[in-house]
Amino acid sequence: MTLTIPLPAPVPPTDAVPVLSVRDLRISFPSEAGTVAAVRGVSFDLLPGRTLCIVGESGSGKSATAMGIMGLLPPTADLRGKVLLGGQDLIGLDDRALSKIRGNSIGMVFQDPLSALTPIFSVGRLLSDALRVHQDLTKRAAWEQAVQLLDLVGIPDPRGRAAAFPHEFSGGMRQRVVIAMAIANRPSVLVADEPTTALDVTVQAQILDVLRLAQQETGAGLVLITHDLGVVAGHADDVAVMYAGRFVEHAGVEELFRRPTMPYTARLLAAVPTVDSGARRPLVPIGGEPPALAGLPDGCPFAPRCAVALDACRSDEPELRHVTGHGHVACLRAAEIADGSLDPTGDAACVGRPTPSRRAEAGEVVLRVEDLVKTFPVTKGALLKRRIGTLHAVNRVGFELRAGETLGLVGESGSGKTTTLLEILRLRRPEGGRIEISGTDVATVASGARARELRQDVQIVMQDPLGALDPRMPVFHLLAEPLRAIGRDRESIRARVHELLTLVGLDDSVADRFPAALSGGQRQRIGIARALATEPKLLALDEPLSALDVSVQAGVINLLARLKRELGLAYLVVAHDLAVIRYISDRIAVMYLGHIVETGDTEAIFSDPKHPYTRALLSAIPIPDPERERTRERVVLEGEQPNAARMPAGCVFVDRCPLYRLADEELRHRCRTEPPVPTSVAGHPGHRYACHGV
Amino acid sequence: MTTDAPARPTAEQTPEAAATARKYSNLGLGRLYLRRFQRNRLGVVGVVIFVLLVLFAAFGGRFTSYAYTDADFTALTQPPSSLHWFGTNQGGNDIYACAVHGLQRSLVIAVSVSALTIVLAAIIGTGAAYFGGRVERVTLAVIHFLLIVPSFLILALVSHRLAGDWRVLIIVLTVFGWMSTARVIWSVSTSLRERDYVKAAEFMGVGPLRIIFRHIIPNLGSLLIVNLTLGVVATVLSETALSFLGFGVQTPDVSLGTMLADGASTVTSAPWLFAFPAGLVVLLTVSMTFIGDGLRDALDPTSVTGSAGGRR
Amino acid sequence: MVRYVTRKALGWLSMIVVATNATYFLASWFLDPRSNFKELRPVRSEAQIDRALAPYNLDPGVPLVHRWWDWLTSVALRFDWGKSPTGVSVNGEVGYRALVSAELVVIATVLSVVLGVALGVYTAARQYGWADRVSQAVSIVVFNIPASVAALAVVFVAIWLNQHAGLHFLYVAGENSPGVEGLLPTIGDRLLHLILPTLTLTLMGYVGYHLTQRSLLLDTLHADFVRTAQATGLTRSQAIRRHALRAALIPTAASVAFSVPAVFTGAVITETIFGWNGMGRYFIQTISKNDVHGAVATAAFAAALTAIGAILADIATVFLDPRVRVS
Repeated sequence: MTLTIPLPAPVPPTDAVPVLSVRDLRISFPSEAGTVAAVRGVSFDLLPGRTLCIVGESGSGKSATAMGIMGLLPPTADLRGKVLLGGQDLIGLDDRALSKIRGNSIGMVFQDPLSALTPIFSVGRLLSDALRVHQDLTKRAAWEQAVQLLDLVGIPDPRGRAAAFPHEFSGGMRQRVVIAMAIANRPSVLVADEPTTALDVTVQAQILDVLRLAQQETGAGLVLITHDLGVVAGHADDVAVMYAGRFVEHAGVEELFRRPTMPYTARLLAAVPTVDSGARRPLVPIGGEPPALAGLPDGCPFAPRCAVALDACRSDEPELRHVTGHGHVACLRAAEIADGSLDPTGDAACVGRPTPSRRAEAGEVVLRVEDLVKTFPVTKGALLKRRIGTLHAVNRVGFELRAGETLGLVGESGSGKTTTLLEILRLRRPEGGRIEISGTDVATVASGARARELRQDVQIVMQDPLGALDPRMPVFHLLAEPLRAIGRDRESIRARVHELLTLVGLDDSVADRFPAALSGGQRQRIGIARALATEPKLLALDEPLSALDVSVQAGVINLLARLKRELGLAYLVVAHDLAVIRYISDRIAVMYLGHIVETGDTEAIFSDPKHPYTRALLSAIPIPDPERERTRERVVLEGEQPNAARMPAGCVFVDRCPLYRLADEELRHRCRTEPPVPTSVAGHPGHRYACHGV
Repeated sequence: MTTDAPARPTAEQTPEAAATARKYSNLGLGRLYLRRFQRNRLGVVGVVIFVLLVLFAAFGGRFTSYAYTDADFTALTQPPSSLHWFGTNQGGNDIYACAVHGLQRSLVIAVSVSALTIVLAAIIGTGAAYFGGRVERVTLAVIHFLLIVPSFLILALVSHRLAGDWRVLIIVLTVFGWMSTARVIWSVSTSLRERDYVKAAEFMGVGPLRIIFRHIIPNLGSLLIVNLTLGVVATVLSETALSFLGFGVQTPDVSLGTMLADGASTVTSAPWLFAFPAGLVVLLTVSMTFIGDGLRDALDPTSVTGSAGGRR
Repeated sequence: MVRYVTRKALGWLSMIVVATNATYFLASWFLDPRSNFKELRPVRSEAQIDRALAPYNLDPGVPLVHRWWDWLTSVALRFDWGKSPTGVSVNGEVGYRALVSAELVVIATVLSVVLGVALGVYTAARQYGWADRVSQAVSIVVFNIPASVAALAVVFVAIWLNQHAGLHFLYVAGENSPGVEGLLPTIGDRLLHLILPTLTLTLMGYVGYHLTQRSLLLDTLHADFVRTAQATGLTRSQAIRRHALRAALIPTAASVAFSVPAVFTGAVITETIFGWNGMGRYFIQTISKNDVHGAVATAAFAAALTAIGAILADIATVFLDPRVRVS
């Protein structure tokens, strides 16, 4: 099924009685470094049927707020203020009294569906238990209702699947079950804490729709916590921006996006790459890092990063005040910004503006991949592993990458993009096909010396900078390691480490710190510096930004662009975030189930996507602009990417393809039986796609 | 907690000269561990007891004129007195002298077995985890087999033939004592193997041995230290059990285990023969357990691995 | 499910076979029956000794592989475990003792698991409460006491109780009293003799379960799914009971198999101290008498006990973890 229903417009505020009122909520935790004030005075009203989005970066206190409302904080947490649910204050209630309310008048959807369901119970049992906690039902009646709920949240064959265990469901399906549990007793308030962060983008669109459906079904008010401004634009009625434990801006969704008034909000919107911008808009990084919550200094916590801060901002923390025609803003200069007389991005916008990287002159071919194949055995049994199938992770993938060029591999998890990357980095003879690096076929490299040389040419930057850096090594040794591996002497290593730190814009003093003492942005810069140590020609970037906070991403994107320009590197980028990919790539290859289904120049793909999967993928990405996000046509794919162990005979996308559903019998037959061959778009020889139906 | 937990480290230093920064960061870490250890009162008590025991074993012999082999035929099976502080046994041996020597013997055996066991277990455990595949399967099969087989029986069989020499006992106890530690190290290392920094090192062309010794073993640090202390406890217990049954240290040599065995038969008529060695054994094991727990809390507050279980 | 358990059981069976044969070779290498004859007067010649050992399949002149094959076939075909160097049949010695020891080890294991797990669960739910602190302190001390000391302490307490409280059913020596006639009195008498050794073994065995179960449950308490269960409207203790507990019991069930050898070791010492004629004491005798066949039979017995423990653990796992039933 293909939905092309636009998202509904924001619900206008009514004078209905709020279902949830939070007053001056304060949460603090004890820690080694002193008391951490995670939430410092949060107040809001939630009306029935409306959605409040709380948006913020990690550490801003948004999840703690959600847990505080639910009464699910760890016992060490100190909780103050008022949480009024239907007039009853939840703070101060004991566990027994709270448990009568939780799941009954207030339901919660959690971030990670993989761990949110008890592994040893079937989903039907989990759901009927959730029903029977609050309702006097027989087991059979509860089971019947559970099946209905599973049907409501869109689980196919709900009666049969009710007896299945959580590990037999995919992530998206599990999140549907979690939603079903949250709405089982028709609560008046739903709290969803980053419900789609752990999911793929096409599944995210489905889950957000289910959540909206659940909200309509129950008429509940929804508190949606997210860091994704696109999700906010599409789903919020009201938005609260959180920074350092407080709301710094609280307004209607249209007002907020039309004129972000708190400088932090404005800078955040300017720092986020988007898929919709026609030409590349320069990204303006905020600079600095979000503050630590233990021992906050006086004054506005954003002041050190703010371009328009006054002296007064550093001495007193501004209250959240009403601004005429907007909402509530905690900024001394809110009035100036709201009436347009002050640009909240200040001068920083001009300083940090890099020239957008142009399509580089085609250099020498650094990487050529032809018909790459990688399979994994599917085994069963603990002792004697029997092979019961083959997982076709990468299937006849081919592309070419030249110096100074960036190729983006995009696709959902399980599409084989990371496997492709790792196969190239392995520098061994591939299972099938050819990998050529700087003109050398890796299969012909046998000797250690030649392999080491080749190894110097290809390096990787990993997704999670904290995980990729050995916590027991100081930065100097981290950067020295690849140099030692190629046998450089002590003196040249010392000099090179200094060079590298300068190259990525870090001070020499970080050389003696351990990774834990660095900020997220600094760590990723170290990761990049390490990859550059051996002067590679090709840099593989595996989700280089997804572990970073939004406000830090822009700085790293700009760094990558500068390095490419200065060093003439070739980038092979794997990412699921198409907005980022659009920003940094020259060319894109879209992967599905181990196949490249479409490839071409970035702008060609974004402006004229051919393959139905590419179209769906592009349309699934929310745009941080409420007007456009709610009026554009969306293609929401049904189902999820199937397991690569059972490969269809024809087109790999056939099960989810919206075109296939509309096609006539003859075409359908071709789609089912005949793998489509990549064809070029007329006039654009580089833009190729594999589809029978277009 | 959720991702919103304030996990951001606060150690933002002002840029300083490199040398002072290095000193600061290393010292800071050490001082942090020390402070966390000191907060654990039982751990501090354990250290005090252990130091006293070591001093007793090393210098206790200077306060008596008797050697553990001397027989005082004028005082057979005498209770503690000013002449024989811990009394004497049926052969007229001074129990104080025996206790000093036995503690020495037991300590040396326990500490060396524990250290050797850790080294062996770390190499086998991390090797199996890092190389994976067939190496891992075979190693695990061997470990499981040795864990399931009543290794104590084999230990008794082997040491019966070879015993008498405490150095042989060290080797035998090590050869049959590394498995459960190796299993713990293996299971933790399998998660380390998947860490990005290990993969990153591979992609940089770092060799497997260097990866094991530079990346995997240092990151097991706290686990190894804790298991070292717990290994001492386990070894003392196995040694006393073996010696008690007559398979460990043999006369004329003396360990705490043989003293327990000698004292057990006369526990009602001459309780001091049993009480003193028993007290020393318990002090030794309890102090090491306290130290181990304190170290675990200090080095790795989130760790639950290396927890007690199946040591005897 | 039945298939799962059968497959596991077959695995354990093959483990027993391998372990027993390995012990045969080890015992043959390390035990030298000839040395039994060395002290005998008049002094016998090598040839005489070998001839004396030959009927019992212990003649060192015969290649080890031959002796092993003879032993193996007699065990496999006639279940005859051979003879001691003095010609006593191992089967006759083992049969009765095995029953006594199996009784001891199985009861102690079951009690240890029940007591340890119950304590672990009880204290984990009350982390840092006084019950938790006290029981943990006791467990740590007990964990550090050598088996021999613990057993003697139990003997002491029992004697004191017998003397001061006028109890007379706490027997500190032997596995039965002489001169008890009739079926019921015999059973009763044996049960009374069982009390103290079982108590000692349980004391030594429960601690491991207590401490591991406590930390396992504490880990599971922080799992996301417990929070989800609370969000559906369970109180914290309900969520722990219904969701965390069962998940946390699974690894414990699996670990029972690995603890049986330790219990058997404990049994060796306990039997020595309580003067029990069980497999533990028999094993010590066989080693000091260089009785290869007896030692191997003991090892086989211990392996079989381990396998029984492991199979019970597997069955428990199946009951606790429905996922095993599905796959």
